Amino acid sequence: MARMKFICDAERCIECNGCVTACKNEHEVPWGVNRRRVVTMNDGVPGERSISVACMHCSDAPCMAVCPVDCFYKTDEGVVLHDKDLCIGCGYCFYACPFGAPQFPQAGAFGLRGKMDKCTYCSGGPEENNSAEEFRKYGRNRLAEGKLPACAEMCSTKALLAGDAEVITKIYKTRVVTRGKGEEIWGWSMAYGGSGKLADQPGGRA
Amino acid sequence: MNARKLTTMAAAVAAAAALAGCTELSQESARSYMGKEDAKAYAGDQFKGDKQKWEQSLATRAASQNEYLRTQAAK
Repeated sequence: MARMKFICDAERCIECNGCVTACKNEHEVPWGVNRRRVVTMNDGVPGERSISVACMHCSDAPCMAVCPVDCFYKTDEGVVLHDKDLCIGCGYCFYACPFGAPQFPQAGAFGLRGKMDKCTYCSGGPEENNSAEEFRKYGRNRLAEGKLPACAEMCSTKALLAGDAEVITKIYKTRVVTRGKGEEIWGWSMAYGGSGKLADQPGGRA
Repeated sequence: MNARKLTTMAAAVAAAAALAGCTELSQESARSYMGKEDAKAYAGDQFKGDKQKWEQSLATRAASQNEYLRTQAAK
């Protein structure tokens, strides 16, 4: 079976946060927990770029390596999941993760840290597929329904791609070859025509 | 031990050391999972264990993310 991965195409992401909303809605993620978020670099400056970030389901996941209770496992499709019944909410995985994927809900009146929550690639967790218990702990299991993660399927510009690594890298490669590469493919000139140079665009720096 | 033997041994050690960098380490975690067993994604009511059908469903959805293919098909 394939290795499931995400790719976010920074040239297409328009920072609409549709992926974040789709994820929150699909899994009824509690307040304060964001399994996915959009990060923008050089915000407000012509040439800014945004990417959608969540658990990247690493091939050699550091969270798995540091977990003191060994609650992580990897599915045949390469999706990194964890057992919430085993998690003690220590936060080691948060420190180990380079993407800030592990999230911790506040579990009590005194800021007590709850069990870790993260992107499941919409494939639930170690409970019966599509059961109420699975939904309560891990969210919806779209993969068991033959569907891809909600964030990618909801993405309006198809900036966020999900699926077999081999398939989505081919899609990304086709895009890059078709559209070309460089500053001219961003923003004003792409939308309204005219000079492709950032310096010639409204608000552009010389 | 003559000089030739020494040179051969040194070359063998150097070759072994250099080739050690080419080793591909296993990406499987050395740690063992202590939690509950998870069911396969295709084991539910919808696919009833038919892995091929499930993979086909995912492949169709993954391919539909390529709008270049979709627009060409529409022409």
